[in-house]
Amino acid sequence: MAITEKQSPVRAPDRARTGPPGGRRPARSRLLPWAMVAPALAALLLVQGYPLVRLLVLSTQDFGPRSLFTGESDFVGLGNFTRLFADSDFLAVLARTVVFTLVCVTLLMVLGFLLSHLLMGVSAWARVVTSVCLVLVWAMPMVAATLVWQWMFQPQYGVANWLLTRVKVFGDLSAYDWFSHPVPALGLIIVLTVWKGLPFVALTLFAARGQISESLYEAARLDGAGTLQMFRHVTIPIMRPVLAILTILEVIWSVNSFTPIWVLTQGGPDGATTTLGVYAYITAFSRNQYGAGASVAVVTVVVLALFSIAYVRRLSRQGEVV
Amino acid sequence: MSAPAAPSRSPARRRRTANNTIAMAVSVVMVFPVYWMVATALKQRAHILSSVPQFFPWPMSLANFHRALDKTGFWTFVRNSLTVTLSSVVLSLVISLFAAIAIARFRFAGRKAVLTILVLVQMVPAAAMVIPVYLMLRSIGGLDFVPGLVLTYMTFVLPFTIWTLRGFVDSVPVELEEAALVDGCGRFQMYVRVLLPLLMPGIVATSIFAFVNAWDDYIFAYVIMKSQSNYTLPVWLVSFKTSESVDYGAMIAASTIFSLPVLVFFLLVQRRLVGGMTSGAVKG
Repeated sequence: MAITEKQSPVRAPDRARTGPPGGRRPARSRLLPWAMVAPALAALLLVQGYPLVRLLVLSTQDFGPRSLFTGESDFVGLGNFTRLFADSDFLAVLARTVVFTLVCVTLLMVLGFLLSHLLMGVSAWARVVTSVCLVLVWAMPMVAATLVWQWMFQPQYGVANWLLTRVKVFGDLSAYDWFSHPVPALGLIIVLTVWKGLPFVALTLFAARGQISESLYEAARLDGAGTLQMFRHVTIPIMRPVLAILTILEVIWSVNSFTPIWVLTQGGPDGATTTLGVYAYITAFSRNQYGAGASVAVVTVVVLALFSIAYVRRLSRQGEVV
Repeated sequence: MSAPAAPSRSPARRRRTANNTIAMAVSVVMVFPVYWMVATALKQRAHILSSVPQFFPWPMSLANFHRALDKTGFWTFVRNSLTVTLSSVVLSLVISLFAAIAIARFRFAGRKAVLTILVLVQMVPAAAMVIPVYLMLRSIGGLDFVPGLVLTYMTFVLPFTIWTLRGFVDSVPVELEEAALVDGCGRFQMYVRVLLPLLMPGIVATSIFAFVNAWDDYIFAYVIMKSQSNYTLPVWLVSFKTSESVDYGAMIAASTIFSLPVLVFFLLVQRRLVGGMTSGAVKG
């Protein structure tokens, strides 16, 4: 999860406690930390490193159903990629993924920030009740949450349609099938994603906010700062590293969102809820075009990597992360 | 629990009351789907399929749970899920405990590289990895094979467990270890007798989070486990839905059984978990 580290060079020397101070360290203790890290690295290389290389190679191959049995596949260079970018389906998926991600992440960060702020200003009992509710949502397995969502929005018997009809703003929604209309289906998936992701953002920001010394706010108040100014000049600058990490994580998770989409709509109706993760899956496993599927995945990784690197670099220039 | 006393006129007081009200409204909206799952599972069949929803399950009935448990293979799926999840959690905890101690307690050449790898690995999406992992396991005959899935989960869990455990090791004062070494403890003995007990709460919190990640995975289990006798609970739950006539009561009851242990464990360790995650990111 949150992977940042404040480098504190001052701390480094007294941390090197692997040998007698001053003297040369014996070879055994120089190797010890590596021996301790080795199993983890080996496992990561085996199941993350190797597949990643394989993914790259695969994306330049025409690896179809026949290749599964013969093990042979033709090298097509960048053919998969040129074909992708000439494909209007793929471009629509790419655009949809960007919109989906922007909407989800914006909603998550804004609502999460507001919710964490709200938690600061309530009585102790209300804070306990709200946190418990949030934790329950956070802990609920995604598969179960998606199935419950499906049940809540079931056309005839779902509680949502009944409630929405009652409100009388949206007209008669009894028997309305959300999943067979493109925009409502995507909207529903966005609401589910935001609902499910909000507790993590809100609770993390709340924990981060709790570590800011109150004296900073008192000082700001004495200087005549209002609520908005305190946000701008105290809260947000101090929390920027956490906000950045959360944003990156939420972007990664939104782009790769699979379970809710697959379980609710399988990417339909008519491809209207297919995002990059689902598209890579369908290409590879439904159409048996593993090479083409891999190239979709590679595009995804590249987009995410560019985004993350740009973000992390900007932060590290400000001396805040890693 | 201090209930707000007689309403005073002070604006701070009034603002607090307003905040409390908003917080309660947010809580109700947020928790409603969780409540609806449990409530639906406890309803009588006739009340589930009614045009006017019943908001409180009364009279309660366990019939939905009975039908879910009676489905063929239910206990097999529970056993499969438990086997895969527990083995990947235990293995990754042992491996990551060593790595976490090394990273937190030693400054060694390449330490920064290890940290960077951990960051980068988290950026690689699972949906991208499933294609090569599938082909890889297929070519070595590892499809439909439990250890293949265990290994897959383990590696997705590792970066996270290393990272959080490292945070927990960091929070144990070095002086305690030094004192033990001065008292003539060996390094290994010192880890077992001093560090491990202090790390216990952190280990519990981390392992529960790792448990949930593996327990809830759908895509890898769906792609790798082909025969029905090897399904894990999430794969089975979703296949439940696509059978021609959905028994919503039983499906929601099964989802409740699937969620309850996680909900309970999470409530117990939540505070530690958030603390462990933010300690590296915010402080210093």
